[in-house]
Amino acid sequence: MASSVLKVSNLTKRIKKTQIIHDVSFDIKEGEILGFLGPNGSGKTTTLRMVVGLIRPTSGDIQICGHALKEEYINAMSNVGCIIEGPDLYGYMSGYKNLELLGSMSKDVTKKDIDEAVSLVGMENRIHDKVDVYSMGMKQRIGLAQALIHKPRLLILDEPTNGLDPQGIHEFREIVKKLAEEKGISVLISSHLISEVQLMCDRVSIINKGRIIKNASIEDMLSTGEVIWTLDDPGKGQRILEETFEITSTIDQRGLSANLDISRLPDINKAFFDAGLRISLVDNKKQTLEDLFLSLTHEEKI
Amino acid sequence: MIALIRNEIQKILLKKKMLLILFLLLIFVTLFSYGQNYAYERTIEQFEAETSETAFDWRVPAGQRLDDLERRRSNESIPDEVRASFDREIQQLNYFIDNDINPITPTAFKFNAEFAEQGIVLFIPLLVVILAADLVSGEFSKKTIKILLTRAVPRWKILLSKYLALLMMTTILVFIVAVLSTLVSFLFFRELGASEPVVTGFSVFEGQLVSDSTVLVSRLQYSVFIYSLVWFVSIIIASITLLISVTVDSSSSAIGILMASLIGGQFLQFFLAEWELVQYFFVTNLDLTRYLTGSYQPVEGMSLTFSILTLAVWGGLSLIFSFIIFNRKDVLV
Amino acid sequence: MFKKIIWPLIVTSASILSILFLYGFIASITVSRGEEEPVSSEDQTEPVQEFTDELPVAEVSDILVMGDSLGAGVGDEENRGFGERYRDLLTEADGEERTLANMSVPGYEAPQLLEQIESGEFDSAIASTELIIISIGGNDLNRLQIEDELTISLEFEETLSTYIGNLEASIEAVRALNPEAQLALIGLYNPYRQENPELSRFLMEWNFETQLLASGDDRITHIPTYELFQYHLDDYLSFDQFHPNGAGYQAIAEALDRILN
Repeated sequence: MASSVLKVSNLTKRIKKTQIIHDVSFDIKEGEILGFLGPNGSGKTTTLRMVVGLIRPTSGDIQICGHALKEEYINAMSNVGCIIEGPDLYGYMSGYKNLELLGSMSKDVTKKDIDEAVSLVGMENRIHDKVDVYSMGMKQRIGLAQALIHKPRLLILDEPTNGLDPQGIHEFREIVKKLAEEKGISVLISSHLISEVQLMCDRVSIINKGRIIKNASIEDMLSTGEVIWTLDDPGKGQRILEETFEITSTIDQRGLSANLDISRLPDINKAFFDAGLRISLVDNKKQTLEDLFLSLTHEEKI
Repeated sequence: MIALIRNEIQKILLKKKMLLILFLLLIFVTLFSYGQNYAYERTIEQFEAETSETAFDWRVPAGQRLDDLERRRSNESIPDEVRASFDREIQQLNYFIDNDINPITPTAFKFNAEFAEQGIVLFIPLLVVILAADLVSGEFSKKTIKILLTRAVPRWKILLSKYLALLMMTTILVFIVAVLSTLVSFLFFRELGASEPVVTGFSVFEGQLVSDSTVLVSRLQYSVFIYSLVWFVSIIIASITLLISVTVDSSSSAIGILMASLIGGQFLQFFLAEWELVQYFFVTNLDLTRYLTGSYQPVEGMSLTFSILTLAVWGGLSLIFSFIIFNRKDVLV
Repeated sequence: MFKKIIWPLIVTSASILSILFLYGFIASITVSRGEEEPVSSEDQTEPVQEFTDELPVAEVSDILVMGDSLGAGVGDEENRGFGERYRDLLTEADGEERTLANMSVPGYEAPQLLEQIESGEFDSAIASTELIIISIGGNDLNRLQIEDELTISLEFEETLSTYIGNLEASIEAVRALNPEAQLALIGLYNPYRQENPELSRFLMEWNFETQLLASGDDRITHIPTYELFQYHLDDYLSFDQFHPNGAGYQAIAEALDRILN
């Protein structure tokens, strides 16, 4: 089992009398992309800022690559690269100067590392221009480059695609995916855009009102556990389910449908096959993430 | 740490703050030296018109004073330290007469000292404020504080590097003020006057100016004294500015707060000179150079040592609070 | 460029300058040590400096001048002051030679005059003289600075009463040493050209109070100079526009002569 790159336990934050984060815990394994999904004002940003040390938690523990953020700040932070709400850079310097300056703040960042990061985000041509004249997309690329120059094992991206055009979003997504796959970098990404999270992440945590309300892999989260078979003889199928697997099922115009643990599906299918049933279609009915998200978060007004 | 300081210096330079400051300085120095030159010429003219003499001759009163002093010092009954103070003045007058320098002629070194004496309460602190106000608050208002504070560097080191960079730039700024005021005024006066003697070290005892402890130094040395005091004041202002810059999130409010306290402090001093607490306010204590020239009278009971200590306490506390606040501050921008 | 040239330049210059300023800072503290209470306003560039020194005093003299820079004759081209000029006027009239002693100290205010008298050093000089001319009060009054009407009035009243108290004590001390001598108090004149009704009022009140003090003893005379100088500032003021010149001192001496004899 891969070790946890980020382990957050029982994190709370209170500002004055208001508690804005309630007992949040989650962890990220190596090479994993975790999506942080929640409506605006749900506490995503506050949580992420606590993880990168911009906000002090009221209580709770954050460990990055085994180093507690509170006690071993430097060891912990040297494994983290981040973009928190937009790529804010020194506008009066060139992109390269920005990277040089920020690189000099970490140990052992060489010119080669900077060049590598620049070519990774594809900014070689404009890197010596002033940041002030960059487009939003270019700034975002430099933002990503500055998060990568010191070769972090954990990348934290807070609303990274805000303000990007669809083309930019797509490119950005591809770069992040590549990083996770090729370099084994773990990514924590927050967004209020469901499609983005669905397309990028291995796992999702849904957060609302400062609490994590659901935390699962995309597959598990979307699966309702309802399976529909289109069989030549639904009645026979129903009996097999009842007798062999003790599963109750119904027959309607869609076919034979039942609620079950997806892991049992191969055995069931084999039994149907052995019994001479012809299966023309097996469908695992999924809800959209959007449905789930809305059903989880819509009830109460902010 | 050195890399951090270098970064901060680079940021200050790239923000082109120094250019703005140089520009302001150039304007003011030029205006002042032009004005002084003009006033000097007017004085001579006026004197000539009034006395209807052919030419104003400064040697008459100077020679008269010299005779008087020599007559007095030859008396045996006067105490030695009084005689010593006579000697210094005689020396000074002799220098002027021997070198044929009119003591009231404006010179570049006289001007740079005067510029510092005038500027130490408001103008030079203001330049330091321009330099320092956005040191931290600028990072907040531009939101770059986020990329700065998510590096593997503890916050105190970041603030310390900023402070040290600021101190270096402030030191250079004070030097620039000195050099610029000397050069520009030299263009107007054509007279450097670096080796001219000047009497300093007046002390005031029981409401009376005492010149027993005075010493005679050259103008150059005197300017070093004056600018050292300016330097000290600038460092204190830089420290106080750092605190404000750490506390507020926008550069413009930082500049606003500091300008208000500098100007408001002058008013306070003016109107409430009787109020004892005023002497503990930093603005009241900025005018350190006055103690050197022996012309000081803000609130009774103040001395150079008192003012320096008061300022040092202000600076020290500002620093301590800056670090505490910066270390604990939640970055919400 | 930055790393190779500017940065090393900044570091070196900043460190060298810091050392220089630190030295200068410590030196200026050392230079101005010994001060206790800065109050007075005096600039070293002003043409006339004030010194606390003691002037030669003849042990026995016929005329004794005491007080401030006016008594000392500051501004007089011939350095004679009204004391010598008055003595010469007397000599001219009767041919008799008189001795003169001057214990004036420029910058003296009334409290210091009292101190000087009470110090005992001049007891014999005071006891043996026939005429004591005192010029005091100018520095007391001049120390007031006009800021606003309310506080200046209050401050003036305070300064005036301090002055009168000290002058009264001085006279008493002199009288204790020498009950017979004639005393002359030189009044104040207005050295400023601009019309300032406030200042004129102060000067008049000041002179009036001094006069009142003098009227209590018929061997004390007040010598008014206000009217004497009023329309003759151009003729009577010296180069510094504050002290009288030779002609001004002569005028005071003549007034002394006119009133005393």
